[in-house]
Amino acid sequence: MDAPPPFSDREIAFLDALVDEGVDFLVVGLAAAALQGAPAVTQDVDLWLRDLTDPRFYRALQRIGAFYIAPTHSTPPLIGGAGTELFDIVVHMHGLGSFEQEASTAIRINVGRAEIPVLPLSRIIESKKATGRPKDLSILPALEDALRTQEHRHER
Amino acid sequence: MPAPTDAPDPAAVDALERARVRLRAAQAICAAEPQASFENVWHTLILLEESPVDRLNRSLARGRATAIQR
Repeated sequence: MDAPPPFSDREIAFLDALVDEGVDFLVVGLAAAALQGAPAVTQDVDLWLRDLTDPRFYRALQRIGAFYIAPTHSTPPLIGGAGTELFDIVVHMHGLGSFEQEASTAIRINVGRAEIPVLPLSRIIESKKATGRPKDLSILPALEDALRTQEHRHER
Repeated sequence: MPAPTDAPDPAAVDALERARVRLRAAQAICAAEPQASFENVWHTLILLEESPVDRLNRSLARGRATAIQR
């Protein structure tokens, strides 16, 4: 029997709740690249939130029975509870502009009921270059080839 | 009269035709972008035929499998 897909109705319900509540967020990282067709492998879905103190964020978590764990000196901000296990919270992206600047160029991708804001592939590439970490640099050729492929498809 | 058993499966015929179209597209992109890897372009074209959620699920399932193998 096939295993259930990792990203299913519970995860989609969380994104729906974020959109319904009007939370300012972007899907970033390799999950964002995968949504755009890049042959990238990842274990989580990174969400860049503009403001972790936004009450709408807490309402979205409450709607799906999830909760927020504030960062400490040694841990990042975390969320827990049903449907949130795959998600990581990000509050800064290397090599990019402010949240507002990057959100203004976000693309919208249909996931379940909602259209979610996603960082464009070209900006994901910039952020991976900026970190300089070997694991980020190693995925650059695949991301750049995916971007070339997208651009050629759009030209047709 | 029953269909002959060696009649081509319509789904397979369709898949073959889509693969031919994809192959031509991948070759054209690689001709225009010599630094591109054919494998990356080919797999991107396959993924672009799927829904965004299916693309993400492929990525996450492989990520999970990779983590288990470590």
